[in-house]
Amino acid sequence: MLIADISQPLLTTAMAGAILPQLIIAFGITLALLLVAWKRSQRTIVLFTFFILFVSLIANVSLLTSQAIQVTQLLKVDGYSTFAFSLILISAIVALRMSHSFLKAHIEVHDEYYLLLLLMVLGAGILVTSDHFASLFLGFELLSISLVGLVGYHRDSQYSVESGFKYLVLSATASSFMLLGIAFIYSVTGDLSFNGSIPSEIYHQQGLGGFFQLGLLLFVSGIAFKLSIAPFHFWTPDVYQGAPTPVTLLMATISKVAMFVVLLKCIIAQHYLLLENFQVFLMSFAVISMLLGNVMALKQQNLKRLLAYSSIAHMGYLLIVIIVTSEQSLAFTWQSSLFYLAAYTVANLSIFIIIALIQQTNSNTNYQEDISLNDLQGLFWHAPSYGLLMILGLLSLAGIPLTMGFIGKFYILSQATIAHAWWLIAILIIGSGIGLAYYLPLIFKVFADPQAPIVPLVRGNSNEISSHIIEKILVYSFITLGLVFGIFPEVINQLISS
Amino acid sequence: MTLTFIMLALLIAGALAWRAEKYWQGSAKWLALISLALLATIFAVFVLNQAFNHNNDFAKLQVMTQVDWIKTFNIQYSIAIDQLSIVLIALTWLLAIICVLVSWREIQTHVGFYYFNLLLTIAGIIGVFIAVDMFLFFFFWEVMLLPMTAIIAIWGHEKRQFAALKFFIFTQVSSLLMLVAIIATGYFHLLQTGQLSFYYLDWLVLDIPLEMSQYLMLGFFIAFAVKLPSVPVHSWLPDAHTQAPTAGSVLLAGVLLKTGAYGLIRFVIFLFPQASMQFAPIAATLAVVSIVYGAKMAFAQQDFKRLVAYSSISHMGFVMLALFAFNSTAYQGAIVTMVAHGLSSAALFAMAGMIYQRIHSRNLADMGGFWQSAPRMGGFALAFAGAAFGLPGLANFIGEFLSLVGVFQVLPEFAIVAALGLIGSAIYGMVLFQSSFQGAPKLDIVDLQSRELIICGSLFLMLLAIGLYPTLLLKFSFGV
Repeated sequence: MLIADISQPLLTTAMAGAILPQLIIAFGITLALLLVAWKRSQRTIVLFTFFILFVSLIANVSLLTSQAIQVTQLLKVDGYSTFAFSLILISAIVALRMSHSFLKAHIEVHDEYYLLLLLMVLGAGILVTSDHFASLFLGFELLSISLVGLVGYHRDSQYSVESGFKYLVLSATASSFMLLGIAFIYSVTGDLSFNGSIPSEIYHQQGLGGFFQLGLLLFVSGIAFKLSIAPFHFWTPDVYQGAPTPVTLLMATISKVAMFVVLLKCIIAQHYLLLENFQVFLMSFAVISMLLGNVMALKQQNLKRLLAYSSIAHMGYLLIVIIVTSEQSLAFTWQSSLFYLAAYTVANLSIFIIIALIQQTNSNTNYQEDISLNDLQGLFWHAPSYGLLMILGLLSLAGIPLTMGFIGKFYILSQATIAHAWWLIAILIIGSGIGLAYYLPLIFKVFADPQAPIVPLVRGNSNEISSHIIEKILVYSFITLGLVFGIFPEVINQLISS
Repeated sequence: MTLTFIMLALLIAGALAWRAEKYWQGSAKWLALISLALLATIFAVFVLNQAFNHNNDFAKLQVMTQVDWIKTFNIQYSIAIDQLSIVLIALTWLLAIICVLVSWREIQTHVGFYYFNLLLTIAGIIGVFIAVDMFLFFFFWEVMLLPMTAIIAIWGHEKRQFAALKFFIFTQVSSLLMLVAIIATGYFHLLQTGQLSFYYLDWLVLDIPLEMSQYLMLGFFIAFAVKLPSVPVHSWLPDAHTQAPTAGSVLLAGVLLKTGAYGLIRFVIFLFPQASMQFAPIAATLAVVSIVYGAKMAFAQQDFKRLVAYSSISHMGFVMLALFAFNSTAYQGAIVTMVAHGLSSAALFAMAGMIYQRIHSRNLADMGGFWQSAPRMGGFALAFAGAAFGLPGLANFIGEFLSLVGVFQVLPEFAIVAALGLIGSAIYGMVLFQSSFQGAPKLDIVDLQSRELIICGSLFLMLLAIGLYPTLLLKFSFGV
């Protein structure tokens, strides 16, 4: 396969500049390996990882306003991918901070954990910029394999083997499905690149045959596994529950954002939506996800399982955006999905920060594995800022005004209204109604009277003061972030529309 | 600007009250009371100043502020007031102060946060009455809902969380339908004029084909019918009213239900006149069913607050019936009924709260013969019950009379059936009064204290004033 014209250099400076954030991460991974060989110290590696992520974030933010640029045939960096990568980097930084206390509970040094984290970010970075099935698969595998390592990382935990294996087996299955699908697609089209190699008339004549459609279905089901869209969701609750909280956070944010962005990119570039069968498939996935996710979440007593089911429902809502896309509204589709993803990421980060904080304070010596709804009881009264952040996160997931989640829902509803997708809107409304029936009791729990012994959540251990300041800053900044972007969403709108 | 300032000030005062309660116990209620009184005065001065110095009678919507908010969707922060919103905001101020007074002793836990929620609800309600950008309206619609739910869920009675959940889900799901209708109308504006707009005054001149406006109208109607509430979407109301703390019930019955009626007037009838005209038989049927059903259910209740709650369904049925008669007499009647019901039901809920504080029960079976020990309380209770069943001389009579007269000209059958509701209200009103204040004395209770006298007295005076001199309200045209 031809990678580039001979007359052109393979990688110009402009191209290198465009993928600088990813390059920084990749370079950081090699340096981290060297660092591990030189000195095994938890503190150093944490600081180093933070530094790498932060520099990459700065490089990425500076790219937000620049033009779209094709980097070889494999990658294409545009405003959308840059925005998505910013979300990924922010989530990674939060996860890095939240991992701290969970890893502290063990005596060994955990350099590998941070390496896996960086590898995962790199995989996500490749995914969001990929413009070719090969780079898509590369990113996909990088992300999945490092996640498998992370999920099973806590090897003393009762769930680690179960959830690690479940994730490994299912994600390997998903990759092989996807690979087979890509092969089928390639066998018909003869091209692995995303951009416009298939003339759109072919779709109108349905000239690509069942083989192509089967390939497409296999490919999408591979991605649907990762997005935990029903009916490919069965692993989600178990793995969410079994994985350490920071890893669940990564799974809920980075993995979802990257996968969704690449799916959207691929579908838009290849005009798959012109195939009616494909639309029907996506629509049934969306409907099942919205209903099943919300209904199953109703009876959950474990907070992480509940969030797993709610994430299934949210991916269902997001699928609506893809389904109703038409050729005229591509820019709007990108805006809607990126805004929704941003809202979803911020809400999930808020909630998982609080879950991690509760876990680390509820148990002095051992890391608490399970977190049930009752652990939230009275949170608002003994730690108001934690309670507030939790409530904001939940309201955002429920899509209530004052939060970003509402604007996200407004985007989806707008798009569905333009496309006259009334049935999908009806399901969305029913789904959100059911959703309220579990989000609200959670909020009431946060407001309920605390159980008998009030354990002060913010403890003043003298050797932990500095870390507490970081956590406090994190909590307060997410409260502000959620409120400011919820009331003035124009800031983000400007970012994604440029 | 003044109106924006008032809403912001309510928010800030709420936050201050919340903080202050931590340092000085008992300061939150004073802060809330003072700031409410102050802001109400500012509002009154603002309106009067506009009326006299600028010769502004507010017969039409007067746009006060208009600033870009979310440019992507051409959403503006735009607020406007007219006579309808002024009357309802005035009612809100009065009941807000009553709310603070009735919570004076009742709220003992998380006091600061309680007043924060109360003031936030009031800010949201005022926002609902003045927003003329539909997105902004929806925003305020939810802003008033959140703290109200918190008030029910945190400070309510035994089954508070269930009641709050039901209240929230009913309102939220129906308002999502409204949101879809709002978005659809906005994009219809885009199709017709080439510009997306959520601005109410733009929508008024929009020419929407009838079959489409039927669906849009229905989206709005369902949301407001839930809030009003009308049968068959009323079932949240008895629970929410019964479980809410006294101030919550006062605010719910007094003002929150009126936001539903306000929405029906401003957004259903004025925006989609033809579609609503076509829909009128169905709406009127629902209204009549609500009137009779509410009265019948009220009669069967053993719980003081539940009884009053069902009577609210009955009274708000009159409002809806009158609105869908498309007749100016009925329209005037609807507005008087709204105000009168706001005052009388608030008074009855306040009375329920006072009795609950004394005997810790809402059950009518635990009451009886209170007249012996508390004659002043009994007198007020009799007057408020009289107002509720439409005793001439009190405001409700005027409202219901005008409504029925107006409706009779257009839909005589409906008026006849609705008049049955009046008999029903007399029965449940008497049941309420007899079983609590007459009969053999079961308990001795303390009579009204000065704070409670102020509450009952002011509400009674207002009812009497409108009842004897209805021109107070009737001299305004309310946009017709």
